[in-house]
Parts: sequence; structure tokens; C-alpha cells
Amino acid sequence: MPGTLWKEFSKGLWKELPPFRLVLGLCPVLAVTKSASTGLGMGMAVIFVLALSNMIISLVRNMIPQKVRIACFIVISASLVVAVELLMQAYAYPLYQSLGIFVPLIVVNCIILGRAEAFAGKNPVLPSLADGLGMGLGYTLSLTFLGAVRELFGAGTLFGAPVMPSAFEPFAFMVEAPGAFVCLGLILASMNYLNAHMARRRGEEEPENPRSGCMACGACSRANSPAQQ
Amino acid sequence: MASILRMVAVLSLLCASSGFLLSYLKMTTAGRIEEQVLTYVQGPALAEVFPDAENVPLTERHAFTLPDGRSVTVFPARKDGKLYGVAMENSAPGFGGDISVITGFDASRDALIGIGITTMKETPGIGTQVSDPSFTTQFRGVSLPVALSSGGGSIDAISGATISSTGVVDAVARATEDYETLKEQILSRWQ
Repeated sequence: MPGTLWKEFSKGLWKELPPFRLVLGLCPVLAVTKSASTGLGMGMAVIFVLALSNMIISLVRNMIPQKVRIACFIVISASLVVAVELLMQAYAYPLYQSLGIFVPLIVVNCIILGRAEAFAGKNPVLPSLADGLGMGLGYTLSLTFLGAVRELFGAGTLFGAPVMPSAFEPFAFMVEAPGAFVCLGLILASMNYLNAHMARRRGEEEPENPRSGCMACGACSRANSPAQQ
Repeated sequence: MASILRMVAVLSLLCASSGFLLSYLKMTTAGRIEEQVLTYVQGPALAEVFPDAENVPLTERHAFTLPDGRSVTVFPARKDGKLYGVAMENSAPGFGGDISVITGFDASRDALIGIGITTMKETPGIGTQVSDPSFTTQFRGVSLPVALSSGGGSIDAISGATISSTGVVDAVARATEDYETLKEQILSRWQ
């Protein structure tokens, strides 16, 4: 049992890392990663919502009629997001100011609904919680990493503390929107390269690139039903 | 039929419980959120208006009631133990929504001490220039009433952002009206 829990938890950290492997939830990934601390804050909000929504959905999964399950999932995650918004305003107002519209937009973040539909709606509570925590943590690490890279080159600081030598001239490009796209592209490319390299070293066949279609992605519930390709 | 009733029941139950939970949370956090908004939104603007105040205008705030029933929160600033200015927040429509401005008045000679922008939804880079010091410092020491230079006053609008500039001046004009109505009450409370 602990082994399967660990498996559900750890898949969100590399194999199915939401923004970089599944390429899901990109809107906040690009928009709020101007600095490492805003990326971290956004990630924490997502961990809270994702873990609790997975847990609650898994608890009530047998009571929810199939036909209205999506509506029920959205009511649950929307309530959690409003709760996060209120708590953030009450206890971390500067963070709320810097995240702005992207806190309420967690509702429509496809990771939340995606995990509810693909995992929590079909699995018991503990694995669902592990899945939510793992995916949330992977998301947080990705956002913090991207934020740190952009902050380091765009402002010469890390979590607000100056780390670059004083002769360093920050390239403002990195903290603007195009910098986010360029960084994301470089990260995706290096992750694909790393995966191909590791597969070669294990003596396996190189994964086809671009990966062929929907079936290659393990996150989707369709991957288990070959009839719908 | 039974399945439709079940769907209706489950969804209603879910929505009702989430509604109750959220309204409870909203009630319990309302006081704290108001305090946080005052500290992080009005606080910096007040510091801009009264850079040399010796008290904390935020903590001494008091809500006055206008004859028409509206309530206005007034922030007093002291220097050398004496009241030297009062500030109040007011808003007027700009280009993308309401612009809220904290306006500071010099109580001794009916002039402005300065203004600070608290919230706005203006176009980034164009309308948002109204919060730049080059625009806001124009309001320092201006005698009442305040108007744009095109309207016979002394404030130069930002070119390309006339609507936003007008919004700020309108907000200051509204605050001036409230200040003149409440002046007696304000002075008798703090002087």
C-alpha cells in the first residue's frame, strides 16, 4: 500500500509533471512567474485546492450521478478557490495583489478538473490525496523554478535578494511576457532531450518526438481504453 | 425520473453546503480583510500624501456622515502635535473603471497637500501614468477648487490619457465637495 501511494505521489514530480510534461495549466505558468516568490505562492494555492478537491471528490464519488459529475466537480473546486482567495486576502494581502486575477482563475485551471476526472473520481481517498499533493508539488516546483530563472536573469535577484554581481545588467526581456515563452520552450526542449538521453542509456528505443498523439500521455483516462483513439 | 430527481438533489445539496461554508468564511475574514486592504492599499497612498506626518493617519481614522446619508472616512495627520491636514478617499470614473484617489487637504488655508492613487483599472503604460509622481506632484499646494488647465485650472493632463487625468481631477473635486461640507465637524473633532 505505501508503495502504490508513493507511486501516485511521485508521478506528478517527473513523469507526469503538469506544466512541463503534460503541458497543462500554462496560463498561470506564463503569467505569474515574474519572480520566484510569486510562482511559489501560486503553487501553494494550487496545492491546497488540488489536494482538497481530490480528497473531497474521492469521498463523494459514489454519491455523484455520472451525468452531472463535471458540474459537481466544478462546484467543489470553485468553493475551494473562493476559500483560498478569502484566506489569501486576510493573511497574505501582498501576495494576493501580485497574483491578481490568477487566483480566481485556478477554478478553470485544467489540472484541477483533469485530476478530478482522470483520477479522484475513480480512486479511493488516500491515493487521490497522494495524487493531488504530488501533482500540486510538481506544479509548485515548476513555477518556482521558472520564476527563479526569469527573476535571476531579468532582475538579478532571487526571492527578492540580490545575487548577481553589481556589474550584471538585467535583461528586462526575461520578466516580460516573451521571456516566459522563451524560457518555457527551453525547459521543454531540455526535458525532452534529457528523457531521450536517459532512454538511450537504458538501451531502450528513443521516445518518438513529437510524441504520437493522445495515447502517449498517461494522464488521460482514455489511455486505458484503446477503443477510443 | 428517479435519476433526474437524484441529480437535482445532489447538486442542490452540494451548492447549498458550499454556499453556507463560504458565507461563514466570508463573515469571519471580513474584519481582517478590511484591515489588510487599509494597510496595503490606503496606507502607501497616505504615506505619499503626508510624508512628514508624526502620527499614523490610518489608525486615527473616523467615519463622518454627510447630510445625504453617505459615510466618508477621514484620516487626520499631525505635525508638532497639531492637526495639519486631513485626507479622504473618493473615486470617479476613468477610462477603464473607477479611479480611487486619496486627497489630502491643508486645514489651515483651504488648499491641497497632495494626492495618492489607491486603485484604478486604467490601460497599463498609458492611463496608469496618472499615478506617476510627475502627474501627482502637480497637486501639491494647489488652492481650491482644482481643475485641469484646459478648464482654467493649473493641472496639466497627460497627453494621450485625458480621460484618466480627468477622472483623477473629478475624484479630487468630489473629495473637495465632501471636505467643504464636513469641514466644521472635522475641525471640531481633531483641533
